[in-house]
Amino acid sequence: MDRAIKIQVDHLNFSYRGNRVLRDVSARFEENTITAIVGPSGIGKSTFLMTLNRLWETMPHATMKGEVRINLDGRFSNIYDHSYPLAELRRTVGMVFQVPNPLPMSIFKNVAFPLKLAGFCDKPAVAEKVEEALRRAYLWEEVRDRLTDHAMQLSGGQQQRLCIARALILEPQILLLDEPTSSLDATAAAVIEELLVNLKKRCTILVVSHYLAQVQRIADRVLELADGILVPSLLNL
Amino acid sequence: MNRQVERWMIGVAWLSGIVLLGTVFSIIGYLFYKGAATLTPSLIFGETQPMDALLLRRQVFDGLFPAMVGTFSLVVLSVGWAIPVGLATGIYLAEYSGKTMKRTLNLFFDILAGIPSIVVGLFGFSLAVFLHKHFSERIYPCLLISSLSLAFLVLPYIIRTTQVSLDSLPPVTRLTALALGATRLQNIFYVLIPKSLSGILSGVILAIGRCAEDTAVIMLTGVVATAGVPKSLLSNYEALPFYIYYTSSQYANPQELMTGYGASIILLTICAVLFLLAFAAKRGLTYHALYRA
Repeated sequence: MDRAIKIQVDHLNFSYRGNRVLRDVSARFEENTITAIVGPSGIGKSTFLMTLNRLWETMPHATMKGEVRINLDGRFSNIYDHSYPLAELRRTVGMVFQVPNPLPMSIFKNVAFPLKLAGFCDKPAVAEKVEEALRRAYLWEEVRDRLTDHAMQLSGGQQQRLCIARALILEPQILLLDEPTSSLDATAAAVIEELLVNLKKRCTILVVSHYLAQVQRIADRVLELADGILVPSLLNL
Repeated sequence: MNRQVERWMIGVAWLSGIVLLGTVFSIIGYLFYKGAATLTPSLIFGETQPMDALLLRRQVFDGLFPAMVGTFSLVVLSVGWAIPVGLATGIYLAEYSGKTMKRTLNLFFDILAGIPSIVVGLFGFSLAVFLHKHFSERIYPCLLISSLSLAFLVLPYIIRTTQVSLDSLPPVTRLTALALGATRLQNIFYVLIPKSLSGILSGVILAIGRCAEDTAVIMLTGVVATAGVPKSLLSNYEALPFYIYYTSSQYANPQELMTGYGASIILLTICAVLFLLAFAAKRGLTYHALYRA
């Protein structure tokens, strides 16, 4: 089955403190698929994800060359174009980090936070969207009666699903996940795996992972990052 | 040998702690021992009825009430000037400035922190004289000049604590809101500042203490022995540390010295009240920024 290309990366070079992390990386990512990126620690997998939402720009001593285009309603736009609004990009390309990072506020406020940032403040609509995002992140049933509790009271797995819900509330077209299950136990990880497989109907998903078994369970395609180059992994066979 | 050193070290640490706590408690205990007897309504309100004094209907002549009001307004004003400027500078240093700029400005703020308060007082005095000559005959050393000078004195504390607490936030906290589409300013105001309020608060508390105790600056910039409750920003005022200073340096009889101890207790109480206010403000702000659903 041929799917449309969602992300197009061309000749991407990235250096951090003078070390070249990515060398002339070019890749295509298809819509509604899960692509896993594997490779040893510290090789630049997270950095690669951050080039897709320009989050690396907050790091000092980093430089990047190359092009990243994403397909928005059939048209490719270069996300490094000066006219491309950064906040909008990060709403289109959501990201979930390795360690769950709920903000120190209530469960409800955490999920609604991106809406607040976007200036969306119609209260009933916010409540509706929060519920929907929590449902999509398989968390609604567990927290529906305690939305005003502090988010830090949730278990690690729940916190991570909360972070996924928070990333989903703006309906991103692309979801980047940086080792989303590495701080969780096997049961919590399994829930998130199932969730991701379900989410690919709506999003294009890129996930960095260490766990080969996990990668084989959920990924449609596996890429390996080694020596700054992104190559199809042997796991694809 | 090594274990001996470790044990010895722990002993020294405990000893230092005990000495410090002991000193604090003996100072406070001594103050109460000496001053408790003077703590009567007449120490504060003199011959005036307390209600009349509090509602400013009658002036208090022989009590500490005007000095309490003076110190309280002085601290609130000074910290009020210093907080916005200090916060903004701290945010700039932590979030926006380049490396060279940061180093240069930090050097200046260290120098500012090291300026003796009497020099700041002299500067405030010269400012008052300058304004009097060139701007308006109505300007003398006054509450406004004093509070501005004190603000200048405590600015480095607030700048430094703001900057340090922002700098020490973990990188992932910094990225969280950005990854969700926050602008730089949204990130600072919705996440970074609320998360570093505790650190900033410690700077504000230092500043409150410094403003409440300082005598050198206010002696040159507008405090007087009898002025009554200050009527405006441009009037003279009384202040507790100055009262303590002149009663203890020129008392005529032991009773008068005792009122100095009484005034010290009141000064400590005012500081405690201000600290509590700062804590309450911090809790309220954190709640509003982070927890309110």
